[in-house]
Amino acid sequence: MQPTKTIDSYRFVDGIAKKVLKRWAALPGETQTPWTALARPLSECTVALVSSAAIALKSDRPFDSEIERRDPWFADPSYRVLPRTVRTGDIQVCHLHINRTFAEQDLNSVLPVERLSELAERGEIGAAAPSNYSYMGYTLRPERLLRESVPSMVRQLREEHVDIVMLIPV
Amino acid sequence: MMPELTASAGAPRIAAIEHPFGMTLGRPGDVAGQLEVLRATLRAMETMAERSGVIHLPFEWTSTEKLALGPTEPPPIAKYLVRHPWAFSRFLNRTPPANSG
Repeated sequence: MQPTKTIDSYRFVDGIAKKVLKRWAALPGETQTPWTALARPLSECTVALVSSAAIALKSDRPFDSEIERRDPWFADPSYRVLPRTVRTGDIQVCHLHINRTFAEQDLNSVLPVERLSELAERGEIGAAAPSNYSYMGYTLRPERLLRESVPSMVRQLREEHVDIVMLIPV
Repeated sequence: MMPELTASAGAPRIAAIEHPFGMTLGRPGDVAGQLEVLRATLRAMETMAERSGVIHLPFEWTSTEKLALGPTEPPPIAKYLVRHPWAFSRFLNRTPPANSG
């Protein structure tokens, strides 16, 4: 068993970015935290993944980076569906604030779809959900994302009887 | 990656990992490592019985190589703030102009 650890949240950020992120973490945040107890063992759960890396299928329209270039406080509020069968060669990464090459070399670095299916094959989870999702994580105006995209994602998650959603920051 | 920031967004359960941006689950091609992180995250989720719980995952990022973690060109907000430095306090306090978005 590995020793316990307290992570250093700011290990990989430099001066100004560190200052900004520390400040954002200290700002008043959400006052309501949702809670649903796990209703069944992990081995019976259907799991879906959600990435903030703005990942789209190459066959789908990309996230619109021109929105952010016109208004740097805002970004494309839409989302994309990424099927369980998606692989690295099927996707494009549209996030403007990260080095996209890691995800473009291996999607599983940010959205572990193959790893999730492997856990399902081993019986460690019930199933990998048919659909996963991605949105653009940078925006200082999240209202449209919350008002339009999130309810739509939730609807589909419910239709697919997803028990666990893993939100993966990038 | 930044549990304090994630907690401020109201996440009900948080598994914190000390990995660089762009490689949350691990290095490209590290199948075993990615699997271990995913497995540990799901198991941590199973053990958290109260809202706002935070578990720090034990994985060590041991590489000392200097990683290019940022984008190949500065993002639009960075370029904007260089041209409009007086707007930095808005950015710092997450108070964008009313006419944005």
